[in-house]
Amino acid sequence: MTDFAALIRRLSDARIEFILIGGVAATVHGSVRLTRDVDVVYARHPDNIRRICDALGAVHPYLRGASKGLPFHLDVPTMITGLNFTLVTDEGDLDLLGEMTGGGTYEQLLPGAVRVELYGRPCYCLSVDQLIAAKRAAGRPRDIDALAELEVIRDRQTASDSGAD
Amino acid sequence: MTARSPGCTLNETVPPTSNRSSLDDVIDAYKSGIDVTLIDENLRRSVDERLRYLQRLLEFAEELRRAGRELATKR
Repeated sequence: MTDFAALIRRLSDARIEFILIGGVAATVHGSVRLTRDVDVVYARHPDNIRRICDALGAVHPYLRGASKGLPFHLDVPTMITGLNFTLVTDEGDLDLLGEMTGGGTYEQLLPGAVRVELYGRPCYCLSVDQLIAAKRAAGRPRDIDALAELEVIRDRQTASDSGAD
Repeated sequence: MTARSPGCTLNETVPPTSNRSSLDDVIDAYKSGIDVTLIDENLRRSVDERLRYLQRLLEFAEELRRAGRELATKR
C-alpha cells in the first residue's frame, strides 16, 4: 500500500524538482476520489535525475507489473534513456513522468503550478485548471468522472472566491 | 437537375454557435451524479488533512480487498 507521506517527504527532502499530478494533485484541490499511487512530472536535467536515483535507491524501485528478476536498475543511464517510469517501491507506487500527455514537461508546467505545503514540505502541484486541461487532452473515457469532479471543484472555488454561496 | 431542399446545399457548413463540444455534454451529465456534499466537506479540510483522509481511505480499501480475498479462499 502506498505511503503518500513517506514518498512525498522522500522526494522533497532530496531536493528533487517535481510537480505532483494525477490523483494526489486532485486530492490537494479537494477531490474525494481514491488514488493508489503518487504521480509526478520531474525535471530531466542530470542533477535532478541523479537526486532521484539516490533518493529512491533505498526503497528498491522496480517496474510495476513487470516479471520479477529483470535486470532493471533505476540509475542515471536508465533514466536518461527512458522518459516515463511506472514504479513500485517499498513505500508504494510511484509514477515518474518526464512528460505528461496534455501538459508537457516540468519546465512547461511549472509556471502554472501551485506551491503547497504537504507533510511540512514545500511542493509544487498542478493547478485545477492544469489538471482539467491535461485530462481533456488525454481524452480517456475512464477520466470523464474525474474530469467532471474537477470542474465541479473549480466552479465551487470560483464561486467561493467571488463571495457567492 | 437535382432537387434540393431550399437553403440546403452539399457544401453548406453549419456555423458554430458555441465552443462547446460533445465532451462538455458528457461531462455535464456526469456532474449531475456527483455528491457535492462530500466535496464541500473535503474543501473545508486543510490540504494536509485531505491527504491524510486519502491515506485512511486507501487503508480502508486495502482492508476490504484483503477481506474479499480471504472470503474467496474460504469458498
